[in-house]
Amino acid sequence: MTAPSLAKRQYALGAGLAGSALNYFKYWVVAAAVLCFVVPFIVAQYADVQLSAWYYAVNCGKWFTAFVGGGFAFTLLPQYVAAGLTRREFAVSQAVFGVVWSLCLGAIGFAGLFAERAYYDGLGWSQGFDVGDTVVPIGTAADTAQFAAYLPLLFLSYFAAGTVIGVASYRWEHTGWLLVVPILPIVFGLDVALYNTEPVGPGWIGFLGRYLDGMGRIPVAAAILLATVALAIAARRILTDIPMRSKRA
Amino acid sequence: MSFSVTLRDVSLNYGAEAALSGIDLDLEAGKVYGLLGRNGAGKTSLLSLIAAFRKPTSGEILVGGEPVWENAPIVSRVALIREGGDFDDTETVKDTIESGGIRPSFDAEYAYKLADRFEVPVKKRVSALSRGKRSVLAAICGLAARAELTMFDEVHLGMDAPTRDAFYKELLAEYMERPHTLVLSTHLIDEVANYLEEVVIVDRGRVLRHADIETFQGMGATLTGPADAVDGLGLDALAEQRLGGTKSITVAAALDADVRSRAAAAGIEIGPVGLQDLFIHLTDPNRNGA
Repeated sequence: MTAPSLAKRQYALGAGLAGSALNYFKYWVVAAAVLCFVVPFIVAQYADVQLSAWYYAVNCGKWFTAFVGGGFAFTLLPQYVAAGLTRREFAVSQAVFGVVWSLCLGAIGFAGLFAERAYYDGLGWSQGFDVGDTVVPIGTAADTAQFAAYLPLLFLSYFAAGTVIGVASYRWEHTGWLLVVPILPIVFGLDVALYNTEPVGPGWIGFLGRYLDGMGRIPVAAAILLATVALAIAARRILTDIPMRSKRA
Repeated sequence: MSFSVTLRDVSLNYGAEAALSGIDLDLEAGKVYGLLGRNGAGKTSLLSLIAAFRKPTSGEILVGGEPVWENAPIVSRVALIREGGDFDDTETVKDTIESGGIRPSFDAEYAYKLADRFEVPVKKRVSALSRGKRSVLAAICGLAARAELTMFDEVHLGMDAPTRDAFYKELLAEYMERPHTLVLSTHLIDEVANYLEEVVIVDRGRVLRHADIETFQGMGATLTGPADAVDGLGLDALAEQRLGGTKSITVAAALDADVRSRAAAAGIEIGPVGLQDLFIHLTDPNRNGA
């Protein structure tokens, strides 16, 4: 790593972290893609394929993104502060990391949905997702694009949620993780409301989303954006005067 | 350019417990300091404040004349190396060295040279290193930081004697080549005593003594002789030992010519007291006198 200038190092660090993380997990993405194209093919031998496998993979990716945001913050904060980074710089680098990571995963999610659409169309299958007890086709190419366009924002909201829980867990060693209790239902609930569906995961956590079903996607997306900004501010606030833990023998 | 350090009425509490109270301390730029204290005296807390690892409960901390807290141009040139280093254990040694590059002054080439010299395998994960090698890696990262203020907090733990000796020599060579402010916190006092210019002794959360090494060397003496003769000198003893009719006392004051001549006439031997002995006596909770 070449030493960046002091003024720009937090941006370089954030972009570098995103690049390293994407490089590190690239085979996970490849494995998910292979599974999403192989499993429906196997299912098709016995039953009609109606559900988008890639949509499930994308939902797993959101949870994974929360773990990446939290895990990286928890692990790297003490390392980087010890290496002479300020907490404010760390907060900026984590924000850059989150934005780049979410844009890249969002782009992969977007491309995957279109690749799957072509694949399903070629084999005469229906690319749909769960809405309550029924399966609803995603629709036209324009519908697919609109459906996928929200993915970067969703990834970013999960990243921000993970980061808050990660830095809180570092700051309050035994109790910080309890922030999952207020944060998860909000983020997951908004996710549920956005697509009016039940994303992969413990669906009951998204109970709040059922009260927002009728709002339409744009207001819900605005609420997700607001929640993400609030989470980013909370993470920065927790970081502002966070002490490094004492070393244990 | 080296950094000076100034602490004014600094206190640090961990919950209701006071770790440091009313610390006033001035460290001049470009000197080698020894920070001594018993376990739990507050050495690590003090270093953590100077490196902005923690925020003080009250008081002011200036490094290089500026507040250190969240000051990127300052903290990027301050290195506190704690025992075992602050590493991501899942990373390789190479990645750990490379991550030091977020400091503009970090010298990766020098770090690799030291890793080669101290036989630290760069492809191994940090978690797979022995305690001694991990300590060496921490020391390497501290040296290669090329910081203006470098503080080593018990970083030698786990290193064998030849490695410690090589580390001290490298530390001195780096200091001679590039003068900077250096603080060594250690319990192996006699091993580093020859490298120190000034010594700060911390005891029970306060600065007990701060003086240059010559002052410490002239501060104490050991007088051994017939018990009655030793008692007859009327000195305040930090500690005393008695074996039959012979008594040995340690004093924490320079002996004037009169005392020296009376001691010589009474057959009392005067010997120097080592820094470690003086430290033990000064921080003895049961000691009497100064």
